[in-house]
Amino acid sequence: MENFWDINKIQEILPQKYPFLFVDSVLELDQKSKKAICLKNVTINDYFFEGHFPGNPIMPGVLIIEAMAQASILLYAALRSEVARKKPDFYLGKVEAKFKKPVTAGDQLVIEVSGEKLMDKGGVIKAVAKVKGEVVSEAEILFGVKLRNENNKK
Amino acid sequence: MAKKDFAEIKKEVKKLVSEITEVPEDQLKDEARFTEDLGVDSMMALEIVASIEKKYKIVIPEDKIPTIRNLKNVFELLEQLMEK
Repeated sequence: MENFWDINKIQEILPQKYPFLFVDSVLELDQKSKKAICLKNVTINDYFFEGHFPGNPIMPGVLIIEAMAQASILLYAALRSEVARKKPDFYLGKVEAKFKKPVTAGDQLVIEVSGEKLMDKGGVIKAVAKVKGEVVSEAEILFGVKLRNENNKK
Repeated sequence: MAKKDFAEIKKEVKKLVSEITEVPEDQLKDEARFTEDLGVDSMMALEIVASIEKKYKIVIPEDKIPTIRNLKNVFELLEQLMEK
């Protein structure tokens, strides 16, 4: 599989940095249908497994949401590049999520995000996370986008 | 889109706005200002816009959103968009 965006490009875009990056590569990106497919390789070396849980490595659900949110930022950056270029802050507004199966070390978490509504000041994104083609989690993510210097204007 | 009675749509939209803003329907007057009177923030506004778009399969233009100040504006905009 060819990487559409590799980790260097991802690091350029995402404000999150190590050790809080939960997207390894962007596999597909379709501007027209407003969709992106991102990959997170879950490995036993992931630091959260040390405590979640000892002897029973399960990826925390909140981190799956974080991965979805990061995938959403990447999609937003592709579709609204003129806004993303100014390096705005992204605020999580509301999340409605379902978790269907545990994600563990060795899994390839494939996150499909699609833009339901994207605007300069925010958006709504639907995310589906799959492992081996099976849905492990689904979420609808509402987020705000704000440029830092906008805070001073008001 | 099938022609739905607009009074019915108004009722549905009011219910939807009431659910998102957590303002009871009987207190949700058509003229009440979203931000000042009802405490609607930008995230709630986005949620309202996205829900209406999804429900009625329409697109609310981004530049129209800041002009929406109350429920009455929502109805007016919807009426315009649905006539097309």
